[in-house]
Amino acid sequence: MRYKIAIVLLLMILSTTVSTANPGGKGDSVRSRDCAGSCHGDPSINGMSDAELDIQYQEEVYAGLLTEIKTTVSFADVSSNNMVGLTLLANPDGAKDLPASDGWEIITDPNGGKNNYVEIVDSFSSVSMISQIWTLRAPSNPGNYNLYLGIQHGSPQGGVAMTGFSESKQVTVTEVPENLPRLSVGWEPINKRELGEETIITLETVNTEKATVEMKSGAEIIGLPVVDDKFTIPPAVNPGVVEWRVILEGEGPTQTSPWFRLTAQEPGWEVDEFALYMQSFALFIICIGIVIVRRPDHKRSWDTKYDNTSEVNSQFSQIDHAQDIEPNEYTIPPLPEGGLPDGWNMEQWEYYGHEYLEEMEQEAYR
Amino acid sequence: MISAGTFHVIATELTVGMFALAGIAFLLCALKKGPISRESVAHWALFFGLLATPFAIISGINASPGDGLDNPILANKMLLSMSSTGIAIGVLLRRFWGREVDIRHSCFGMISVALMLITAGMGGEFSRGETLLIFIPKETVLLFPVWASISLLLVGLVVVSKSAIKHRS
Repeated sequence: MRYKIAIVLLLMILSTTVSTANPGGKGDSVRSRDCAGSCHGDPSINGMSDAELDIQYQEEVYAGLLTEIKTTVSFADVSSNNMVGLTLLANPDGAKDLPASDGWEIITDPNGGKNNYVEIVDSFSSVSMISQIWTLRAPSNPGNYNLYLGIQHGSPQGGVAMTGFSESKQVTVTEVPENLPRLSVGWEPINKRELGEETIITLETVNTEKATVEMKSGAEIIGLPVVDDKFTIPPAVNPGVVEWRVILEGEGPTQTSPWFRLTAQEPGWEVDEFALYMQSFALFIICIGIVIVRRPDHKRSWDTKYDNTSEVNSQFSQIDHAQDIEPNEYTIPPLPEGGLPDGWNMEQWEYYGHEYLEEMEQEAYR
Repeated sequence: MISAGTFHVIATELTVGMFALAGIAFLLCALKKGPISRESVAHWALFFGLLATPFAIISGINASPGDGLDNPILANKMLLSMSSTGIAIGVLLRRFWGREVDIRHSCFGMISVALMLITAGMGGEFSRGETLLIFIPKETVLLFPVWASISLLLVGLVVVSKSAIKHRS
């Protein structure tokens, strides 16, 4: 038996395969540079990605204002799920490398969130070039800044975690001209909405005399009326992304904002949390009760069929009773008038005296 | 500073490891094979697994993205973990009260372990998008109406109270 168990365990161990860590991804988040959970010392399960990575900035990047960057991934041979993890970083050191460390703020990531690490599923291949758009708020202090793009993905054959890192891409952040028409520093675009609901967006501008809003509709760009710095984006029927931008005119040079992306998504899963908590607690209590409840004391038929305990006990009690009462009945027969018969001693009389008396009585009757 | 995600991994592995050990020991108890210490191992491992469970739950809530219970997997995890915890506490109470470790007792122990391992498997599905439990419907939540839950709760309280009173008498 032990040998069989050992063989089964051995076969189970031998049947395991080496797989890439987190093949399903880890989810978008704010994340420092890491190995995506694949920090193995064995080079056979780690590899350098062949993908070419690039970051492109807008021509003018003003301190504290919104800007758009485009990241491009080319020639990435990925695993069958076509998933790639992209990380936007401020330095290659692996510490204090979040864009926020240099004063960047991520307003909209390619997936519509606010994370520096996003997982993209697209048609990545050794011949494709995939671009993603990020909307950032530039650091508030003018100067030269660097950004890096990291990539993590699986290999076509599986089993190897590929990582890569772009060259440093420098951008010069300049002081904002005094009379520049612009969106106010505290204003942020809306990133997400649910299906079927129109979105009213209020613009907050500075040094702006006229604001014009444009929205991509397929291959066309259409204008949206702006009334009292408010405009309405029509509701979405299907999940998807609507891109829009605002053109600001004033005394200074006309400014065009980045393309903002508004992602329409189906309503998230909702549950009555009170009902869920109540059911959880009820299950908790009822499970305790089910386990500790005592079984009924009724005897089963097969127990009573061969159970002669009561009979044996009664016999024992009778024996005990007999032993208890015997000393009371055991009495020494009374001696005859002449004392012990000839040849008898007292011990013989105690045991056989009553027989002697009975014989005497029978002879007397005769 | 340890992040909630890392702490959750530590607490979860502690919980799952203890429950898995308890499960094997309960299996030996059910089969009435193996070392004599199987009963002690089963119950102590279950006890320490229960101690680690709250830490796993709290760190998991802190580590999960989003607000509240916005995913059916999270709801199922809650229902399963609470059921498993209830059964485990019941098993330990039975043992504490000196009941016999028979096949029924051992089966309850194994059910508790199975529910906790399914909960952990759902965590893998939630965080990494993959799990060995491919045949278990994880996106379906069997949610009772509130009145049914309250009724169940009352029945449970009555059963627990009566059992406790009987035990004392």
